[in-house]
Amino acid sequence: MNQNKDQRDDVENEEASEESGDTSLAAGGEALDLEGLDLTVETVEERISPSETNVFDK
Amino acid sequence: MIKLPSNDFPVTLAFPPQGHWTQPHLALPCLKAWLQASGYGDVQQMDLSVEAFDHFLTAESLTRAAAKVQQRLPLARFDGDRLPLGQMRAWRAAAESAASARSIIGRVESAKAILRGQDHPLDSDRGFWDPDRYVPAVRTLYHGLRLVSAAHYPSELTPHNFTMSYSNDSSEDVLAATLDEEQNPFIEFYREQVMPRLLERKPRLLGLSVLYGSQLIPALTLARMVKAALPDCHITMGGGFLAYIGDKVMSAPGMAECFDSMVFHEGERPLLMLCEALRLGEPLHDVGSLAWWDRADPEHPVSVKNMAAHPIKLDDAPAPDLDGLPMDKYFSPQVVIPYDVNRGCYYGECTFCTLPTVIGPGYRTRSSETIARHVVELRDRYESTHFNFITDCMPPGMIKELPEQLIEAEAGITWWADARIEPKAYDADGARRLYEAGCRKLLFGFESATKRILKMMMKGQSLKSVVEVARNCTDANISVTFYAMVGFPTETREEARATLKFIEEHADIIREVSLQTFHIDEVAKTYKQPEQFGIRVLDAPGDLALYHDYEADVGMTQEEAAEMFEEMMASFRRNLAIFSGDNIFYFMQKSHYFLHLAAGETPQGFSGRCADRTSARAEREADPELTVSEGLVTVPLGFSHSDAVRTLGDPLARAARPDFLTGRYVRDADRVAEETLPPLDPKQRFLLYDPENGEFVELRDGGVRVLAALREHGTLGALVAAQVRAGASPAAIDRLEQFAAELHRLGVLRAAASTSPSTPVLASARG
Repeated sequence: MNQNKDQRDDVENEEASEESGDTSLAAGGEALDLEGLDLTVETVEERISPSETNVFDK
Repeated sequence: MIKLPSNDFPVTLAFPPQGHWTQPHLALPCLKAWLQASGYGDVQQMDLSVEAFDHFLTAESLTRAAAKVQQRLPLARFDGDRLPLGQMRAWRAAAESAASARSIIGRVESAKAILRGQDHPLDSDRGFWDPDRYVPAVRTLYHGLRLVSAAHYPSELTPHNFTMSYSNDSSEDVLAATLDEEQNPFIEFYREQVMPRLLERKPRLLGLSVLYGSQLIPALTLARMVKAALPDCHITMGGGFLAYIGDKVMSAPGMAECFDSMVFHEGERPLLMLCEALRLGEPLHDVGSLAWWDRADPEHPVSVKNMAAHPIKLDDAPAPDLDGLPMDKYFSPQVVIPYDVNRGCYYGECTFCTLPTVIGPGYRTRSSETIARHVVELRDRYESTHFNFITDCMPPGMIKELPEQLIEAEAGITWWADARIEPKAYDADGARRLYEAGCRKLLFGFESATKRILKMMMKGQSLKSVVEVARNCTDANISVTFYAMVGFPTETREEARATLKFIEEHADIIREVSLQTFHIDEVAKTYKQPEQFGIRVLDAPGDLALYHDYEADVGMTQEEAAEMFEEMMASFRRNLAIFSGDNIFYFMQKSHYFLHLAAGETPQGFSGRCADRTSARAEREADPELTVSEGLVTVPLGFSHSDAVRTLGDPLARAARPDFLTGRYVRDADRVAEETLPPLDPKQRFLLYDPENGEFVELRDGGVRVLAALREHGTLGALVAAQVRAGASPAAIDRLEQFAAELHRLGVLRAAASTSPSTPVLASARG
C-alpha cells in the first residue's frame, strides 16, 4: 500500500491546499534540522517534440 | 461569371481543430475570395481550431474539465505498490491537475488577454511585450490544455497537436474516434458551440480544410455530426494532408457516412465547379480534381475520382478574404495576415520535397505589382501592417522587384517568409532593400552542413553561399531561421554532428533552427526509389498508412536519428539564445518573435536580451528578501513526478503514443516500452505548482518543511536569523541558502522587488 495515500486523500478533499494552510508540515519558529533535511529540488525540462519546433508547420 | 443573390446558395468553409493559434490559416480566405469573386455572395468561414482553443481555455470549461479529471483520474486510484508505465501518463495527468487546476482556472482569462495584448489600456504596458508576463501566460495556456487533455485521457490536445489512442493509420480507428465522447473533446464542443449555428444557417455546402494529420479525426467528427443533422448539406473536404491520403480515405469503408466528396490539390476551381454542379442539380462527373461517392444505390455508395482541374492563374486570383474569421480570438496582440505570393516552387529539385503532392504540379506566381496592391488593400481592410508571405521560396527576380513595389506603394508593412538560399539575390544590397520593404525574418531551407547529403538532397547550394546569405540578412537586421533535417538516408551521426557544429559556430547569424527528423511518406522520392538512397522501405500496416519505416545498411537507423534529434535540440537549448530556458516559447508561438522584430527590435538585440534573461535567472542568489511565491500550491504524491516525466520522455515510451508528426503508432511499442522501462517505486514527494511562473517543481518532505517555515517567517532573512538564533551551524545556513537560491532560480521564491510590475525587457522600441 502506498504510504502517501492518506495524505493524498486529504489533499483531494481540499482540492489541493494553498500552502498558506500547510504549516503543519513545519514547526514554525522552531529550529529546522537543516543538515538532516532532504532539500533536493527536482525539475524536469520538457523534451521538445520535432514538430513542436517546426514553425513552418504549426 | 454567375450572379446570385447572396442567400441563394449558402456555403460554409470551416477549419477544424487543430492548427496554430496565433494567426489565421490561408486556405479558407483564398477559397472564400474566389467563390465570392465568382458570384457566390454568401460564404461563411469558421476557424474552429482557434474557436476550440478559446472555448476550452475559459474558466468555465476548465472547471468542468477539472471535475471530470477528478472523476476519471482520481489520484487515489494510483495507490499500488508500483507505478507501471501503462499508468504513468494517467498518473502524471492526475498529479498535475491536482496541483494546477485551481490556479489555471483563476488565471486563464488574464493569460489570454496578455497574449492578445488586451490586458492593459496602455500599449507599452501590455504583458505580451514583457517576457515575465508573456512566458507565464503561455505556460498557463499550455497547462490549461493539459487539463483539457486529462479530462479526455488518453487524448492529448496541445497548441501544436491533437492525438488520441486511436491511430490515424486505420480508418476503423479514425471512425471509432469520431464517436468516442469520453476521449474526443470536440464532440461536445461541436454540439454546443458549432452545430446550433450550422443548424440555423443550413449551408448547402460545407467545406472542411484539413492541412494537418491532427485535423483528420476532428474534421470527420464534425462531418459525421453535420451529415446526420443536415442530410441535404453536401460535405466536402480538402487540404494538404488529404492530398497525401485522400485516395485511401475515399476507399475506406464507412467514410461515405461522414462526407460526400474530396477536393485534391488547389481548391479554388474544383470548389467553384462543385458549387455550380450542386446549385444546378447537375452530376458531379465534370467537377475537376474531385473524388466523390456516387450514391445512385444509397446502400452501396461507389467512390469516383474525376480528372484533374486546371490550376487557376494565380495573378488573377483576388486577395484573400479574412472577413468573418474570429480575429479577436487569435493569441497575438496584432493579427499577422497570411498572403500567398506564389504557389509551388520555382526550383523544384529537392529530393525530399513532396510539395507538388499538396499544391499540385507546376509553379505559379502573382506579379509584384499585384502583391503590393493586395497588401495595401489587406492592410487597410484589416488594420494590420503585419504579413506572413506564404511561399515555398521567392524567385530571385521577385526578391528584387517586390521590395521596390512595396516601397513605391508606401505599403509600410513588416513581413516574414520562407526562402531559398540565392546568393545573388540576397547580397548586401538586396538584403538592405528587403529590410527597407519590411522584411524582418526569413526562413531558409538549410537542411545539412554535409556536402554529400546536400548532393543527395539535390539542394543546389554551397555552405559558402549559405553563410554569405545569412550574414547579409543579419547585417541588414533580418532575422535568419534555418530549417535543418536529421536522419536523411545514409546520414551518419558524425555528419549530423557536423551540421550541429556548423549551426552553432554561426549562432551570430542563425537565430533559430527548425529541426526535423526525416520521414518517408508514400509520395516521396525516397519511397519510390529507395535503392537510390540506399534504404529498404518496410510495409506499413493500416489502410490509411502514409508514413513508412525503413532500414538502411549505412548511416543512422530511425531510432538513432531520433536520439540525434534529442542531442541536437539539447545543444541548441544551450547555445542558441532564443532556445535557451523559457525563451523557446517565442520560437514555438508562430509569429511572436516576428512581432517583436516588427516592433523595432533587432535580431541581435532580441537574442541578447534572451541570453541576458536566461543568465540573470541562472545567477539568482539567496536574497534575504526572498519570499514564497504567492499562490504556490503543494500536492503530496506517492511517486516521483520528475521520474515519471523522465520515463515518459524516453524514446521508447514516446513511441507508445502516436508519433507527433505522423500520428501513427509504432508496432508493439507499448509492449517493448513496458518491458524495458521499469515501473516507479513509491516515493514520498511533493509537487509544487507556481502560478506566477506556470511551472512545476518537485520537493521532498524536508524542502516542504523549509518552505512552510519560510512562509511563517516572511522572508529568507528572517528565517536565517531565526535559525542562527536557534543555534544553526554556518554549514546548515549555507545549505538553507543554497536551497533558497535554487528555488529562486526556479521562481518558487521571489525577491520582494520582483513582485511589482516588471519592466519590459524585450522589444524596447515598439511602433
